[in-house]
Amino acid sequence: MIDLDKISKAYPTRTGSNLVLDSVSFSFPPHTNVGILGKNGSGKSTLLRILAGTEEADSGTIRRRGTVSWPIGFSGGFSGSLNAEENCRFVARIYGADVDDVVGFTMEFAELGDYFYMPVKTYSSGMRARLAFGLSMAIEFDAYLVDEVTAVGDSNFQLKCRKAFEERSGRSSVIIVSHHIGTVKDYCQRCAVLQKGRLHYFDSVDEAERFYEAA
Amino acid sequence: MRGSLTQLNVVYALLLRETKTRFGVNQLGYLWAIIEPTLWIGMFALFYGSYGHMSLPGMNLVAFITTGIVPFSLFRETAARCMSAIAANTGLLFYPQVRPIDLVIARAVLEFATHLLVGALFLGGVALYLGVLNIESWLGTLSGLALAGALGTSFGLVCCGLSVYSSNVERLFPTLLRPLIWFSAVFHPAESVPKGLRDLLMLNPLVHAIEMMRNGWFPGYHARSLDPWYPLAWILVMLFLGLNLERIARRRLEIA
Repeated sequence: MIDLDKISKAYPTRTGSNLVLDSVSFSFPPHTNVGILGKNGSGKSTLLRILAGTEEADSGTIRRRGTVSWPIGFSGGFSGSLNAEENCRFVARIYGADVDDVVGFTMEFAELGDYFYMPVKTYSSGMRARLAFGLSMAIEFDAYLVDEVTAVGDSNFQLKCRKAFEERSGRSSVIIVSHHIGTVKDYCQRCAVLQKGRLHYFDSVDEAERFYEAA
Repeated sequence: MRGSLTQLNVVYALLLRETKTRFGVNQLGYLWAIIEPTLWIGMFALFYGSYGHMSLPGMNLVAFITTGIVPFSLFRETAARCMSAIAANTGLLFYPQVRPIDLVIARAVLEFATHLLVGALFLGGVALYLGVLNIESWLGTLSGLALAGALGTSFGLVCCGLSVYSSNVERLFPTLLRPLIWFSAVFHPAESVPKGLRDLLMLNPLVHAIEMMRNGWFPGYHARSLDPWYPLAWILVMLFLGLNLERIARRRLEIA
């Protein structure tokens, strides 16, 4: 459903250019949840942003079939001075979704209580993550791109996230990046490991785990 | 590939959001947008009314000052707001369909609407006070204001693109723009300046926008040096430059 063809991305650093993605070619299989494991700084968040279209690759082409979410994570996407409702309205509008439906769904899912009407800058990171996740679930995507975010929150909320994805498993798939094997095991049937700019794909999560641990 | 309908949706959503973040923090928010230029116009009208020895045949002083201050303020505010459009909204560039240019457009539209309202309030107020509304050309008046807004937008877009490379841009340009008010024929007709100086004055594209607005509003106003194509040329060149800078900037932006 998303095809990468020779995607490269480098960031300038003081010591020269840091090649984060080195000519990565990969086809994400349809209706399959894929986990991407990578250590901190391995470029997994960059990969996710490129998959979403938030950032452009330096070279290579990307093809998306179906709708793809924004990178769902802790940071970005919300304006701190607005409350959750206003932020939801904005996102619903830019995705052409029904504003009231989105607000209602997010309010119920995120369980923020009165904080729903408080500026987002007053939120803890857990609350932000709940809002981000709830909001993304309120809009129908063919592929959800998730950056660690499900690893936060209490076990109750984590259960809720898993159920939300199970409910739409026939229609939507999820691509999760994480440095934590547990998250990937919870959600994904397939797994890839991002290491030194290369993406190593495995048909089973266990194989990926062995490779990841050994690296 | 996104369609123009998506872009329209995005700009509309940004516009509502900008309105809220700009004015909606407290109840007085919308009022502030009007109070600020009111103070300006009032102050200068009072000053020139008491000390000035300008001859403004057939023109009301407050109306005249308004046709100078409103387009000037529109230019300056639009340029300043568009300049900081990316820096203030990096979080929104998270959504792939939101592009820097959309942020700039939303801010420019909001500034234009606010200044249009202020201009209408003052010019309408003067007309009510005098009991006559005698306008040369609505189209000319609005085109003059639109030119001022477009100059601000295109200039702001260039600065916005440059600001990705250096944060000094956002500090430097507003300071450089401050003295511009004394070289923009805000408080006097351009024709009141002697020939040699006037040729210099007309190099400023903003003067043409302001003169165009006056030419449209006051019957019998002689804006002999007015050339609408001159500011338009500036706008096109700056837009071309700004749009290219924006495209490059988008690649360089690191969206946290």
